[in-house]
Amino acid sequence: MRDVGVRITVIALILCVLGIISIYSNTHQKEDRYWQLTYQRQILWVIMGLFIFSITSHFNYRNLWDFSYFLYAFVLLLLFLVFVLGVVRLGAQRWLKIAWFNFQPSELVKLVFVIFYARYFSAKSVHDVSLRVGKFGAFRAMLLPLLFLSVPLYLIVEQPDLGSAVMIMMIFVIMLFLGHVKLRYLLIFIGLILAFLPLGWHFLRDYQKDRLIVFLNPNIDPLGAGYTIIQSKIAIGSGGFFGQGWLSGTQSQLYFLPESHTDFIFATFIEEWGLAGGFVLLGLYYLLVRQGILIAAKTYDHFGRLLALGICAMLSLQVFINVAMNLGLAPVVGIPLPLMSYGGSSLFSTLLALGILVNINRSRAVF
Amino acid sequence: MPRIRFFNFVVLFVFGVLFLGLANLSIIHGYKYKELSRKNCIRLIPQPGRRGRILDRHGDVIVDNMISYNLMVLPSEFNNPDQVLSRLSRVTGKDNAALKRAYRQNFVSLSIPVVVSENIEVKKAIVLEEMKPELSGFTIEPQPLRHYPEGELGAHVLGYLGEIDRWRLTKLADYGYNTKDIVGFGGAEEQYDYYLRQEDGGLSVEVDRKGRFVRMIGFRPAQGGRDIQLTLDLKIQRIAESKLADRRGAVIVMDPFNGEVMAMVSKPSFNPAVFVEKDIAAVQALFNDPKAPLFNRAVSGAYPAGSLFKLIIASGALENKKINLSTTFTCDGGLTIGRRRFACWNTHGTQNLIGAIARSCNVFFFRTGVLLGPQLIHDYAVKLGLSKPTGIDLSSEASGFIPDPRWDKVYKRKTWYDGDTANFSIGQGEVLVSPAQMACMIAVFANKGTLVWPHLIKDVQGRDISATFKKPSLVPIQKSTIETVRKGLRNVVADPEGTSYLLASLPVEVAGKTGTAQVTGKLPHGWFIGFFPFEKPRYALCVFLEHGGSGYAASVVAKEIIADMCSGGVL
Repeated sequence: MRDVGVRITVIALILCVLGIISIYSNTHQKEDRYWQLTYQRQILWVIMGLFIFSITSHFNYRNLWDFSYFLYAFVLLLLFLVFVLGVVRLGAQRWLKIAWFNFQPSELVKLVFVIFYARYFSAKSVHDVSLRVGKFGAFRAMLLPLLFLSVPLYLIVEQPDLGSAVMIMMIFVIMLFLGHVKLRYLLIFIGLILAFLPLGWHFLRDYQKDRLIVFLNPNIDPLGAGYTIIQSKIAIGSGGFFGQGWLSGTQSQLYFLPESHTDFIFATFIEEWGLAGGFVLLGLYYLLVRQGILIAAKTYDHFGRLLALGICAMLSLQVFINVAMNLGLAPVVGIPLPLMSYGGSSLFSTLLALGILVNINRSRAVF
Repeated sequence: MPRIRFFNFVVLFVFGVLFLGLANLSIIHGYKYKELSRKNCIRLIPQPGRRGRILDRHGDVIVDNMISYNLMVLPSEFNNPDQVLSRLSRVTGKDNAALKRAYRQNFVSLSIPVVVSENIEVKKAIVLEEMKPELSGFTIEPQPLRHYPEGELGAHVLGYLGEIDRWRLTKLADYGYNTKDIVGFGGAEEQYDYYLRQEDGGLSVEVDRKGRFVRMIGFRPAQGGRDIQLTLDLKIQRIAESKLADRRGAVIVMDPFNGEVMAMVSKPSFNPAVFVEKDIAAVQALFNDPKAPLFNRAVSGAYPAGSLFKLIIASGALENKKINLSTTFTCDGGLTIGRRRFACWNTHGTQNLIGAIARSCNVFFFRTGVLLGPQLIHDYAVKLGLSKPTGIDLSSEASGFIPDPRWDKVYKRKTWYDGDTANFSIGQGEVLVSPAQMACMIAVFANKGTLVWPHLIKDVQGRDISATFKKPSLVPIQKSTIETVRKGLRNVVADPEGTSYLLASLPVEVAGKTGTAQVTGKLPHGWFIGFFPFEKPRYALCVFLEHGGSGYAASVVAKEIIADMCSGGVL
């Protein structure tokens, strides 16, 4: 366990297994055979995801430097395809049907942006230790990256997938910060966003407004928009210290909590395992992110360091938004809990990112 | 690397915040959320119990229950209550707005069914039940409802049912009563609510989000209340009720030896079913009626006794040897005491006690009363059960009033003159008695010296509860005195000049006394108290007519009642 790469692999595997256990607990009692087999499908995704993980962890991350614009173009194409051919589910057009697999490109977009900005803010040469970014003017440091961001962001907002859009914006800001963009540019940018935030209200869809309102007070509409958040809080709160035990959480077992195997898997996990389980789970996620930061700290290649930090930021943002939403501390947005929530797209892109992380740790020694 | 360190710190901070948020929900607010979680998935399905029936002394049903159907909607099974309610309103024919209002008022929580319409017709219940496949979100719940097969009969004795009020709740909360409980008001329903009261049972089931049954957690069967048997005799009650007809007043028929009340009527009456149907307008009308139909005149009413009071004077004077059977007074139509002349209602000439009772001569009793003195009159009235409640098992009994000269002297500084005594002697002035007290008083002469406890309860579900009965008390009056007064009472009917001679034609020997109580400005009250058969009394009777004109009118009613009792095979 001395090797950071092995630790990441082990932690990721534990989290996947906890996810499968929770998914089984949530779906095994449903009448429908398709539902009952949800956990088996998740096992399949995990196996496939681990395959992707092992490939990317052996694929030299430096190659991504060269591919980054192609990757950018590729996700742009995917988002256009979603816009044109996307599958409409739950009132949103976020999915692409590839054979039998519904793929959600916005999951991949986050990772691609991390790669893209890591590329943008770092020098090509490994030996060029000094950062160019610090000398960048406003155009090259802020406006150009923002321009690259704008089209995909617009497409994601149009899906609509506000959660992913907000997350990409946050990743962007974090990448600017970690990419050593001048602090005053960053502060001006954040100030502008905050200033124009109230205007954004008018561009929100009704259900998004509802979600924001019920986030402030869930009891306004306990049966409609506030229902999920109330049920989620009940599930978490009823867990107590040690939880109600596996397969015995009533909130999820009796379907009071919707989306209990995807976005709200954290709530069902806490209901069954309690605060103790929550401590272990959050601890595992922190350890995972911590390994990434350790890798970044040891990497002297700017691209690799920025990439590793970006992946850490992406992971911890996802965990934070999802858990905060489960706790009622953030509005309900469709951000899954990495590695645990049911669904291939999220699992694949997370394992892909972890694979890159492991590879940074492995390839670093080469230079 | 300061930015990386900063980033590391922020990540750690964020995870700390998440953990604290988690601890806040699951530990600090854990109890609240556990409770909410339990409420979410556990639904109580009430199973209403049956309130005990009320039977008469022969076991015939006076108050019963019948099944009614309540329409309940299940809020957890639909999103839009308006839509379901308007569909239901079309089927049941009830007002849509009323249903919505009921829904809003009765809504407790998502998982608890809401009663929107009570007591719907059987036909509509069946129609609704058949609609279930296409329109979900409601249930029809059978519920036992109080049923009065006899209508108004004995309404005051039985009482009515209603939702518990604040005052009763504070009193009864310790005995397991809750808000919204249905309890008895007045009559046996209130007095024996403890026995009659049912225990509602219920199923607690675990349900899923859509309210579908998952498994049963607990079951408590509903327990019906206990049936109580009253001493009422439906036959006599019906006779008394029909003979009093729409006159105002009260009738009590009682067993003179043990105080079992066989009939008790108070008119005007009311139909207790009005309270079950929740007919608000009708209930309001009852409460606002100036004739006070809810008021039980037989027990809660206190009226001047009139000539009935002469029995007390007679007993007291004989006991104290102020007079004996040879004492005679001459009635010349009145008596002057001081400067005031007290009139008799007729000119009776010379007569002894027996004749004076028979003819109800005022002059005789003015003189006897003055001989006896007001203090002794008061004492004998109290010995015969006046001025205090009889203890009958009905609520809000009147205790009446007998003036006490000694009390008056001390507290009101009032000097008691012979004129006051004369008025006192014929039961006028401040004297107030209730019909129940009069029935007990005549029972003393019927059973030769025992003051019985009038009561309505016979047993509870076949179990004898006579141990809880109040013991009858011996009246400290000699047998010979009672025999003498009895002779007088018999002569009231038997003597052709007696005030109730019209009762002589009855096939049963009746003894009794009439009374006409003057009321200023209005028609006098009419009284008749009596017992029959004379030798072995089985019934004591008290007829009271509020502003009924005279004792004669009361004895006419008494005659009709006794005649019907004879022909009806009760005697």
